[in-house]
Amino acid sequence: MLSVNADSKIISMKITTLILCNTNRRRALACCALASAPLLAPLNSAAAALETPFWRDGKIDFVFSEFKFALATEMNVQDACPKGTSLNLAEIYAQTAAGKRQQNESEGDYGKRLQQAAAELAGQGEQNVCMSPEMAEPDPFFKTLASTTVTTEGIDLDGEISADDFTNGAGVAGIDNQFLRAVGCSRSYQPSGLSNGFSIEMLSGSWGILLALSEVDDLNNDDSVMVTFFANADPIQLSGKREPLGYATYAYDQDARFIAQTRGRIREGVLTTEPVDVRFHSVVNSMLTERPLHAARIEARLTETGELHGVLAGFTPVTELYDLQFGFRRGEKPRGTLAPEALRMHSANGAAFVLGYTCQGAYQALWRLADGEFDNTTGRYNAISTQYQFDAIPAFIVNAKTTSANQELVENGSAADDY
Amino acid sequence: MTIKPIIQCAAAQWRALLAALFTVLLVTVLPGCEPANTSAQEPPPVGGPLLLRRLTEAQYRATIAEIFGPDAPIVARFERGFRAEGLLAIGTSEAGISPFSIEQYSRAALSIADYVMQPDHRDRYLDCAALADGRFNSDCADQFIRHYGELLFRRPLTAAQRQRMLTIAQSGAEQLGDFDQGLKFALVGLLSSPEFLLRLERVKDNSKTITELDDYSKAERLAFFLTNAGPDQQLLEAAAGGELNSRQGLVKSVDRLLAGPQLEGAVRAFFSDMLQFDRFADVSKDADIYPAYSSQVAIDAQEQTLRDIVWLLVDQRGDYRDLFTLKQTHLTRALGIVYRQPVATRNGWQLTEFPETGVRAGIQSHIAFLALHAHPGRSSPTLRGKAIREIFLCQDVPDPPANVNFSLVQDDHNAAMPTARDRLVAHRTQPSCAGCHKIMDPPGLGLEQFDGLGTYRWRENGAVIDAGGDLDGLPYDDAAGLAQALHNHRETPRCLAENLYHYAVGRDTVWAERDYMDYLIAAFAKSGYRVDQLMRTIALSDNFFAIKTTGSDSNAAPTTALKPSAEPATMASDLPTPATGGSS
Repeated sequence: MLSVNADSKIISMKITTLILCNTNRRRALACCALASAPLLAPLNSAAAALETPFWRDGKIDFVFSEFKFALATEMNVQDACPKGTSLNLAEIYAQTAAGKRQQNESEGDYGKRLQQAAAELAGQGEQNVCMSPEMAEPDPFFKTLASTTVTTEGIDLDGEISADDFTNGAGVAGIDNQFLRAVGCSRSYQPSGLSNGFSIEMLSGSWGILLALSEVDDLNNDDSVMVTFFANADPIQLSGKREPLGYATYAYDQDARFIAQTRGRIREGVLTTEPVDVRFHSVVNSMLTERPLHAARIEARLTETGELHGVLAGFTPVTELYDLQFGFRRGEKPRGTLAPEALRMHSANGAAFVLGYTCQGAYQALWRLADGEFDNTTGRYNAISTQYQFDAIPAFIVNAKTTSANQELVENGSAADDY
Repeated sequence: MTIKPIIQCAAAQWRALLAALFTVLLVTVLPGCEPANTSAQEPPPVGGPLLLRRLTEAQYRATIAEIFGPDAPIVARFERGFRAEGLLAIGTSEAGISPFSIEQYSRAALSIADYVMQPDHRDRYLDCAALADGRFNSDCADQFIRHYGELLFRRPLTAAQRQRMLTIAQSGAEQLGDFDQGLKFALVGLLSSPEFLLRLERVKDNSKTITELDDYSKAERLAFFLTNAGPDQQLLEAAAGGELNSRQGLVKSVDRLLAGPQLEGAVRAFFSDMLQFDRFADVSKDADIYPAYSSQVAIDAQEQTLRDIVWLLVDQRGDYRDLFTLKQTHLTRALGIVYRQPVATRNGWQLTEFPETGVRAGIQSHIAFLALHAHPGRSSPTLRGKAIREIFLCQDVPDPPANVNFSLVQDDHNAAMPTARDRLVAHRTQPSCAGCHKIMDPPGLGLEQFDGLGTYRWRENGAVIDAGGDLDGLPYDDAAGLAQALHNHRETPRCLAENLYHYAVGRDTVWAERDYMDYLIAAFAKSGYRVDQLMRTIALSDNFFAIKTTGSDSNAAPTTALKPSAEPATMASDLPTPATGGSS
């Protein structure tokens, strides 16, 4: 509970520089204790309200301002991926005799020939390797991350330290992130790769994540707080520099599938939560998809300005992860019907070509490395450990019906719906 | 310098006045000085000079919307208004018209006339057409010109004016082979005329020292004051019938206008002027320091304050002084970010309240005041204090001396002087600065709990902000206390009455009007400080229509940078020449 010092008129903040400690939960408290003193010295209630405008009546609302896969902190590709990185279909074809560049063949013509060959290798319609990766031959050119020296931030999800687990920058071991093992040797998932984040759509207002803490009695130490995840129903508010603005108001998606509640605790300013299944929206090429995360947990530090920096981790069903990140097979139009096959197929094949992998290679790797939700019937795991890094800033979450000013265009069937 | 009735109270204060000390000092040292005239009877009218006032952009737009409908386009950029004696309304009789403005008025006239005479629209405005054989229909054209000419000129056209417009219409119709096109150019002529663009006031009897406006000038002054647009057909008919000369007739028209929906527009126009919202065009904020500031926030901030004013003064018929302590407010989500308040409505406005336990209350704690009177990268107790003195208390603060050293005040990361109060000590202690800063800084420092955009803060550079002070004997601890001090300050309602009267007549008060001002203030107080009642008192007063035709304070000819001839002619040289081959 809040410590009240009625005589205290002026509060002396004892906040030191806060360091993000996305560490193994068992070590996190020690690490973060080193990084900072208590967030707030004991406050009287009036002073607390003045100093912490984000904390009102025991509630703190957040909107995610950054959300990305927790990948390698830094990585020497040659060391981490001694067999090289994954190849796309054009690159695979180029390794065959027929795929070599011919004499007097211009670079442009050669590129077109490779693309054409890749399209033929991928197949069309239901036979396309991105649409039906389970039917494709194993991809020997898809490389996964076997290195034991790569570091990444994250949470120990199973409470065990195994050979596949990662270690963070502070030396804390036991981080479960098999998704990183699956994609770590694909060039777009390198620390500076194109697939490192997917916030463009979030910042353009296509989707967003809200987090509400309630029953918060103490910002530094509270044994029990209520934690609620929501999908944002409103576009995120940005500054002129396209940076998310704090203290904006957002309504949450009323669909119960996108609301999840659990409990958590705050220890020395670090919030940890109990596992809960969560589900968010995602958008790729104007197609709506969903981002589920089972047994999701948060470990994040609350700053004196009401920001939350940390990790959201859990297990993603393999099929859904493949569909939202690689295959887009269930991509929908704004009005909820399946997007045109051509859009889904070309988006998936185009992404694989540009980002440097094959759909079937990714699909096979995800299944091979899956480590969660063991299925006794099939004898295999159906989900894969996935870790996201996030930043969240103060917001106001409201329960309100919300519509876009352009809602009429959507309801009347706009060009956007027809692509 | 603003003339205060209080000046007459003590001879000792004359020396201070002559020495150009500030009015605020007089107020401070004369707390017991009461207005000389608090009777319910209006003193004999004093009057002011005849004025020639240019329509403001808001008045132009409102008048066009009133006559031709809100969809009539006005494709032009209006010149910025000139502020004099604290009001653009006074500047309208003091500023000239540039060639750019003439050009823009012409563009606006063309866009309006083009819209009105489009085949899809013309039947709304015209129920006749060219003769069957295609010849020019003089009766139809005359009917159109007389009707819209009277609405635009705010009085019936003279025979010469009608004939001139008829000639333009006929010439245009014959050259273009289209009757409606001819009328279009006649309408352009009306819209480009000084009789429309300028408020040319006329008196009934120029032989008297104190006379009054003629009937149509009365209607014009009433309409722009109470609706911010020209007189409607009903008011023009009242003027034509001489109804505005009788108390009963005047009351009927005034009460009709005050009960109408256009009162909101009038209240908005007055407060936009008084609060200097035209200056928002010059406001910029450092995007790194105030990332939440945007052009949308600037627009919404002004609208927030105006909505709150209308809500309290028009919808609730509330006490003007409560504007300074008002907790209720209207917010958009963009504003909610700055105020750090939730706003459930995604698109549009929501009536909500500032937190009861917070220090924010009243329009002086709005973004529209705090951001306007601050620097791009920091707050300014001096600018805010000066604005409170001048805008809300009508107390003049002189410009700073030319050799002021601002370096200390501008160093807002000075570890030894973390708060603005610390940094301003130098200005409050140096004799050359102290005179003004001791007046400006206290109310400005009372708003230091709001940063340069208006977001609440408790500390500056780690130090707790001391927002306490004293406003002319009214002590306060924080912004909420300052709000109460402004509410309770005796000059607050007096200043509003002065500003509203200045706005209504387009000029500063003259010395002899001090009894009249006391009369207004007494009536204002008696009404519970209701602004609509103050407007009614002004509109029904003899002094509102009084003109002093001779003597040192006045001039029989309209006073302005522009001197119209006795029979204003249409600016024919500025009219577009009808051209064959299609409309422009």
